[in-house]
Amino acid sequence: MSGRLSMGAMLRRSLVHRRARSLSALLAMTVSAAVATALLTLYADLDAKLHHEFRSFGANIVVTAASADNGKGLPADALKVVENAAGTNAVAAEFGYAVATTDRGTPVVVAGTDFDAARRLNAWWQVDSWPAPTDANAALLGQRAANFIADERTVQLTFADKPLTLHGAGRLRTGGDEDSRIYMPMAAFTAWTSAQPSVIEVQVSGGAAQVEAAINRLKKQLPQAKVEPVRQLVEGESRIVDKTHALMYGAVVLIALTVAVSVLATLSASVLERRRDFALMKALGGSQAHLMGMFLLEALVLALAGVAVGFLVGSAAAWTISRINFHTASLPRLSVLPMVFLLNVLIATLAALFPVRVLRRLEPAALLKGD
Amino acid sequence: MFFRLLMESFRRQRRRKTLAGLAILLGTTAVTAMLALATTIGDRIHKELAVYGANIVAYPVADLLDVKVGGVDVKPASGGTYLKESDLKKLRGIFWANNITGVSPELPIRVLGATSTGTIVDAAGIGLWFEHDLSNGGSPLRTGAVALHSWWKLDGAWPNEAATTDDSAEAALGKAMASRLGLKAGDVIQTAAQTAAKNQSTSRAFMLRVTGIVSTGDTTDDQVFLPLNAAQKIAGTPDVVKRVEVSARTKPEDAFARKDPDSLSPQLREIWYCRPYANSIAYQIREAIPGAGAEQVRRVEQSEGNVLKRISGLMWLVCAAALLAAGFAVSAAMATAILERQGEIGLMRSLGASRATIALLFYAETGLLAIFAGGLGYLAGSGLAAWLGARIFSGEGATTLGTVLNPVLFPVVVTIALAVAIAGSTPSIRRALKMDPSAILRADV
Repeated sequence: MSGRLSMGAMLRRSLVHRRARSLSALLAMTVSAAVATALLTLYADLDAKLHHEFRSFGANIVVTAASADNGKGLPADALKVVENAAGTNAVAAEFGYAVATTDRGTPVVVAGTDFDAARRLNAWWQVDSWPAPTDANAALLGQRAANFIADERTVQLTFADKPLTLHGAGRLRTGGDEDSRIYMPMAAFTAWTSAQPSVIEVQVSGGAAQVEAAINRLKKQLPQAKVEPVRQLVEGESRIVDKTHALMYGAVVLIALTVAVSVLATLSASVLERRRDFALMKALGGSQAHLMGMFLLEALVLALAGVAVGFLVGSAAAWTISRINFHTASLPRLSVLPMVFLLNVLIATLAALFPVRVLRRLEPAALLKGD
Repeated sequence: MFFRLLMESFRRQRRRKTLAGLAILLGTTAVTAMLALATTIGDRIHKELAVYGANIVAYPVADLLDVKVGGVDVKPASGGTYLKESDLKKLRGIFWANNITGVSPELPIRVLGATSTGTIVDAAGIGLWFEHDLSNGGSPLRTGAVALHSWWKLDGAWPNEAATTDDSAEAALGKAMASRLGLKAGDVIQTAAQTAAKNQSTSRAFMLRVTGIVSTGDTTDDQVFLPLNAAQKIAGTPDVVKRVEVSARTKPEDAFARKDPDSLSPQLREIWYCRPYANSIAYQIREAIPGAGAEQVRRVEQSEGNVLKRISGLMWLVCAAALLAAGFAVSAAMATAILERQGEIGLMRSLGASRATIALLFYAETGLLAIFAGGLGYLAGSGLAAWLGARIFSGEGATTLGTVLNPVLFPVVVTIALAVAIAGSTPSIRRALKMDPSAILRADV
């Protein structure tokens, strides 16, 4: 390399000597990479996160005993079958219903269930205190049902002349049918009424397609039962997830575009202001292609450095946003990296090539002599 | 002189100004659009969430217990207490009346009769409003069961309550019932209506014309859907309803919302009363309708609040990210734009301009650019938000200029643009002013 400047040396000097400008260009490229990374990471996680939120609506599939074999209820192992068929993420709870009479002589619906499963499934139930799992005779009293009971602590019920005493653990408030019922543990319910569970409510995470698939699996496993989606939940969830998805997509494109144009402005300005260097090189015999290559290389190095730093910053931003909003983290995704890289390289290339028309028109002699 | 410099700068350096202006323009466009979407997302998602049905339910407080399993009344209560249909218009007069978007009263009855082919009909029936104008003197709210149950699928037409006469009415049938009895739209069911007069009820023939078949996806598929006035005639109980579903726009519940208003001090109670919590609206419904109990439907209300909070939270955070990114990008662009004019600054200094004058000139340029490009960006962003909103959330009311442009956003956006542009150019201006003019001029950067 005697006497001739190598490309590498020129590049290094250009970057080091114009530190302020290189830094501002690097900052711009980092911002664009960080924004792209953060938004793409959030976007990729969005569906799973939203579907998770929709779990608070409770069951979206209801399995009931077919009305043909009235009163027989579901097969004894139905809950196990349902849990296996619905998938690992699903929550299922079984319910059995009977009409008993309270100590005041009012007919009331008594429901047997597993309190633990019901609690996981029905996050919206407002309960004074959930009964202990060891308490075999605990009862939750719906707030309207409680008005028809003389003693809420020791609840006396009669079913087909069989009396039963339950400990009232507290009131249950839902604003729905549950308000008029009394809930008790399944084992005690079956022993008392000899009725089997007749309804299994299942919560399957996911959109309409997943619910449909789960229903098909359940139908195959339990041909004798009726398996139905809770239509408003399934439809509503898909619609809202789709709309939020579209909204985020719009936001991603909009922000990416903004940042891209700003970066373009910054980078191409820094190329343009070096007309003098360009003219000098041209006067010394550099070819147009050679010089463009030089600018391009410089922009690409900056773009690459921007991707490296921006990916870290963007992943951290996505993690923070998820943490604040959904209370679960979005982990960094390497799969967004090619997309981010491509975007940054595209911006850098455009920024280097954008001023080419202006530069080509330059007369080296005129420029060097003074504007 | 100052103004000439300012004007000439804009006239002669069109390329540079265009690039910096474009950066500000796009930045403010993005920020305006995101802010406009974020501020309206709550209402929009609430509208979408309306598919889950009513979030408040009112019922006669002295009523007997429902004995319902899976939506089917096991022991239909005979008698019991009712709410008055004529009281429902009072819902239009409560404090949060404008937040009530839907009202759907119900009256369950028993329909006994026969089809024209002689098949015996013994089915549950429910009296509803389908499209009813609820008005309390002011402009009416067109509402009913159809609006509150968007998942009901109808084949045919909904019954028209105006078609109800003393001996006939229109009705729709649940899908399961229609297929069980082999009925279709256009068929007729003969039943009987009761007239309660002085301790004895007389019954007379009443004809139901089927206008449509409804699929609801749950147990109500096995029902007759009647206009409320027809159900009242069949049951012989004029002006009564058993249950009222109300859909209201609410503020998600917080700790304050859960407080019992009667235990609060008068001032706090006033604040509680004047916030659109589901609990406060239910409280106002209890006050307005005599003998009514009202309760939030927790499954809908709590979960809606949850989803609403998450989606609008996401929008606000993305909005903040957009603001930050646009801020960075615009300041970088502004910094470059000043940096490349070092020569100019050196020349002005050597001709005797004070530092303050030069700084003022540059800030004035930046400010003008920011206000102009920011204003344009506000317009573009508002338009973009309206377009995006209309594309994503279809079925909204007509968009007018008033709904597109949010006047509150204008000063906010322009101030942000101004602050960001000035903050971005300050370091470069300061650096250029600190340098020795002769060095700048000689180096000819």
